[in-house]
Amino acid sequence: MNAKNNQCPMQNGNAEILLSYCARSLEPEQTAQIEQHLTACAECRAWAAEQQTVWAAMDAWEAEPISADFDAALFARIAAAERTSAWERWTSPVRQFFQGGMGWRPVWPAVAVALTLVIALSIENPFRTEPAGQTVKLEAQEIEQAERALEDLEMLRQLEAPEEETSL
Amino acid sequence: MDMMAVATIEHDAELMLRVREGDSQSFALLLAKHRAPVIHFLYRMIQNQAVAEELAQEVFLRVYRSRASYEPTAKFTTWLFRIASHVALNHIRDGKHERNQESLDQESDEGMSRQVASEAPTVEQRMVREAKFEEIRQAIELLPAKQRAAVLMHKYQEMEYSQIAAALECSESAVKSLLFRAYETLRAKLAHMAGRE
Repeated sequence: MNAKNNQCPMQNGNAEILLSYCARSLEPEQTAQIEQHLTACAECRAWAAEQQTVWAAMDAWEAEPISADFDAALFARIAAAERTSAWERWTSPVRQFFQGGMGWRPVWPAVAVALTLVIALSIENPFRTEPAGQTVKLEAQEIEQAERALEDLEMLRQLEAPEEETSL
Repeated sequence: MDMMAVATIEHDAELMLRVREGDSQSFALLLAKHRAPVIHFLYRMIQNQAVAEELAQEVFLRVYRSRASYEPTAKFTTWLFRIASHVALNHIRDGKHERNQESLDQESDEGMSRQVASEAPTVEQRMVREAKFEEIRQAIELLPAKQRAAVLMHKYQEMEYSQIAAALECSESAVKSLLFRAYETLRAKLAHMAGRE
């Protein structure tokens, strides 16, 4: 704004400077220039007067007093939030897993490890035992062999018996 | 920006950096300094003191929880009012504001009748003041939320255009536009108060 040349802030699209004047945020030199302009420009004078009325009205709007326990309530809320935050940090992976937030991707390494262990143990297992069915089958074979041996002995005994009778 | 402002920036940012290092005493200092401006801003945005205090707690809680990621890239006040504006605008957007306002209107009416009944000698003066206050309150309340936030930061927090722009996450020219439209509306509604009381 150039007050000396009587350039009007309203005319040259610089009403911002009038607003700053009303807000008393201009430097002293600029304030003096505006005040000089206002003596000559009715439009800007009216605008500034209205703005100052609004400004004064807004000054009259006082804020309410703040509750005495505001800080205490805030610190309690912060403490609660911090506790929740710590709990969430610890349980987050589990909760995300059950909520489906992480999908199945993190499970795959665990599945791969489990499968590897199963395969390795099935190939080379020092504690491996025979299946129950096989054990029963082996026991049956042994009994059958024993029975057959007993039968053979009985047959030999019968064959020897007539020779004894003949010799008598 | 004057030297005093620069010193203030450094002091608040320094306090916040200490909070980041785990110094809760610095947080108490920041709270003591900025508690009233934040609550008053929210009160004028929402026009309900209980809700304003509730929202202010949310603001300071967010400040505290953001301490680890805090970087002093902007003036602390600008950062603080960005959070406060977010909280207030979200509250208004979610429609909670209208419900609060209904109860406030009921309280105002009841308050007026109580005054009329119990304080007869000063009733006229009080009613004039109440009416003026109500007019200002309604004029500001009827502004669109973003214009309201800009005006309140400009008028009561004396923030510069660049700070308001950073707080509202828009350009400086957008802030100027918001302010001019807002003040135009307020001039149209409140200019008749010139010379009254």
